[in-house]
Amino acid sequence: MGTSSEPAKIEQIITEFFAKSLHIILESRTQPCSSSRNNYSGEQTLLSSPSSSSSSSSSVRPRDKWFNLALRECPASLENIELWHQSNLEPMVVDVLLFQRGPVNFHDYGAEMMKKDKVIERWVVKYETRKSGRDFGHGGNKRNPPSATSHSLYKKSIILLRSLYLTVRLLPAHKLFHELNSSGQILTYGLAHRVSTLVEPFTRREEVETKEFVFTPVDTTCGRLCLSVLYSPALSDVNSEPSTPVSPQFIPDYVGSPTTDRLKSFPSLPLARFRSHEIPSSVPFERRHSWSYDSYGSSAPPVSGFPSPAYSDSRGFSYNPSSHRLPPLSIPSHQSETPRSSNASLATRNTNFDDFWPSPMPSPTPSPSPPAHLKSKALLRSGSAPVSIPTTGNPAMRNIHVATPSPPRGTKMGPSQSSNGRNLTRARDVNPALKYEKMNSFGKDEVGNISGAKASSGISPRISFSRSSSRFSSQDMFDYSDFACPFAVGDDITDPRPGPDLSDGKAHHTEPRGQVRKSQDAAVGALVEMLSTAPPLRQDISKSIKLSQVSEPEIWGRNAEEPAVTLEYGAGGLSNSSCNVNITSSGLLLSKTTADALEEFQSYRQLKESLLLRNGNDGTSTNAGHASETADKS
Amino acid sequence: MNCEVCSLKELEVEHFEIREVLRCILHTIVFHRALGLVRPKDIDSELFEITYVQCGDAELEKKVEEKINQFIGWVEKHPNKKSQICLSFYEVKSKQPTWFSNKPERVYWEQWHINLNVQHPKAHTIKSHHSKVVVDPGVSALEERTVRRAALEASLREVLFQIIKFVNEKKDHIPPIPNIEGVTFPYEITLPSSSDSSFGMDMFKRMLQTGHPGMLS
Repeated sequence: MGTSSEPAKIEQIITEFFAKSLHIILESRTQPCSSSRNNYSGEQTLLSSPSSSSSSSSSVRPRDKWFNLALRECPASLENIELWHQSNLEPMVVDVLLFQRGPVNFHDYGAEMMKKDKVIERWVVKYETRKSGRDFGHGGNKRNPPSATSHSLYKKSIILLRSLYLTVRLLPAHKLFHELNSSGQILTYGLAHRVSTLVEPFTRREEVETKEFVFTPVDTTCGRLCLSVLYSPALSDVNSEPSTPVSPQFIPDYVGSPTTDRLKSFPSLPLARFRSHEIPSSVPFERRHSWSYDSYGSSAPPVSGFPSPAYSDSRGFSYNPSSHRLPPLSIPSHQSETPRSSNASLATRNTNFDDFWPSPMPSPTPSPSPPAHLKSKALLRSGSAPVSIPTTGNPAMRNIHVATPSPPRGTKMGPSQSSNGRNLTRARDVNPALKYEKMNSFGKDEVGNISGAKASSGISPRISFSRSSSRFSSQDMFDYSDFACPFAVGDDITDPRPGPDLSDGKAHHTEPRGQVRKSQDAAVGALVEMLSTAPPLRQDISKSIKLSQVSEPEIWGRNAEEPAVTLEYGAGGLSNSSCNVNITSSGLLLSKTTADALEEFQSYRQLKESLLLRNGNDGTSTNAGHASETADKS
Repeated sequence: MNCEVCSLKELEVEHFEIREVLRCILHTIVFHRALGLVRPKDIDSELFEITYVQCGDAELEKKVEEKINQFIGWVEKHPNKKSQICLSFYEVKSKQPTWFSNKPERVYWEQWHINLNVQHPKAHTIKSHHSKVVVDPGVSALEERTVRRAALEASLREVLFQIIKFVNEKKDHIPPIPNIEGVTFPYEITLPSSSDSSFGMDMFKRMLQTGHPGMLS
């Protein structure tokens, strides 16, 4: 520090502090290998591994004497520090970025790869100058005179840098850095850094996910030296949990990217979030696709339209041992959309491609919006989508999940019938109070009749099919003649159930459930009997149907709350709207895959909705008529 | 001169973890008080996913290891006790010999209290070894251990941050950097001695020496 004046010394200390902090940070965040990708400048020399550290080096360089801290060579810091030798007034922002590595062979790859990364640490070193003497001039100075001297500043800077040195090693990123370095192989992820004077604001989500550690500032005569770090606290998962389950939500991008239009943009790319200003936005997109076409061109997957591109992709990748790293490229795209924690997303990044295998993604498009998109595609395009269905978060789909297990129980007539009664009462709950009584009586009768005989069937998930059964029964009333046909089919199938059930005579209620084939005779008989003995119900039914039409929207509105009801209701709705439809179609529902069921359900739903629309129009017109009438009267 | 005291959060450790925990803590503290030229050495803890830093001073490392061994010996004699290790930094001031002591006076300016609660695993005895490999009878025990270990690691990390915070908040009491050969300020590591009373006596002596008994709290 020589003989220069006190302010000059202080200024020099500050300057050196900037340099040393940068050195400390970069030394333990820049990777020894593949250095060209670690730095935006594209130049970085090899560093010794962190574990071998610096104890081996012998000579003390002049730079080491500063703050009595001898560090390893870190050219990256030397390059970057030039900026701050000009002025201490600019803050120094060191972002440590986690990026996903592309194919190793591209050596012109650095800049592009930088787009696919995430800031996991942001170190901010700044020197805050005080407004002349306001809070320091007398207050600070008098209270704490030694703090003003260059000696004191130097001593405190040493301690602060020691702390920095330790903190850099205690933060989660260091573990990651360590893992990336220690594993001999080229990994999916790498660490990079960016040194600038600008603080690029984090998104709100990023802010939530980061923690901050602020070192106590060091006061000087005319300001203070501040050091702080924002960091992602949950990085440790990145490499330690390779088997993290992958949510299918992430996959559409991945699946789509290689198979579809190269020029199609990926709106959810996280990169755009960070540094869209630094690199032309088209670059990453090209790059994004290139991994499949360039390095694995021979196995380039078919273009869109292929029913399950995920499989074709994965096959292509599996040819290359290192390919498993590529798929996650698209993963981050969803981070911006989904409220997942960085923890989860980072963890997912880590997953090997093998982890993607089990979840076939029917969606061939690169659209980043998974749920709706996924749903429709799964339903309409894929005939083999059973796997994907349960994974979607859509309530309607979950409904199916809930409902499917019930059929076996439905084969026992008891539950479905007894539930039949419940159905009606249930439906009535929804209906206007007007018709409550009549409906109720119907339900009670039914229950009364059946429950005795079916006592053995025990408790079953009646709620799930109840509504549909009731609808069927009401349909039966109108079109029983048509029901005979389906019953005639498939007599050959034996009924596993004991005879009494069949003779019970109420079997028809189970038919819609699908195990129809058993005891068709009995079912027909039951139906006929029931219909013939139910004249009074006709009125009720007609009314109830009317009611149900009124109440249907409401019921639909409740689907989300009563998921189990939905499918069954939809099935009933079909027969309701197209009374003569082969009843076995709904029966088949149960033997098909859930995907088929969904598909059917969807079409039923459309039918229903069109019917509703029609009914609604009628209703409104009559209402209007009434209104005009009353208006006339008044 | 002020004597700042930092009492670190108590850690619940098993016997075999004592060594690593103490290494982490002691070296971290000393590193912050080694204001001479150091060539830091990163050490990956054997037990925890923690990297701590040594000053690269063989003498210092040796002394720390010695003290840790002594402490472990003490713990074996005094099982199931909470124990405190005290790391103190002092200045040497040559004064006129007093009736109490002829030695140059040690003026303590900082003390670190490391609090350990050594626990013994239920399933097995630990008397015979310091081994870091402990065989657990069942998977559940293993899981339990993993959970416990993770908790300890988190706590240890917390303690290390506690140290970092403390050294940054309290800087004004630190004496000028000594022009001596050692990288660090003079320090001593005090263990509970074989009997608690003598440990108390130790403290009492130090209070007399520093003349700031209140600071020892």
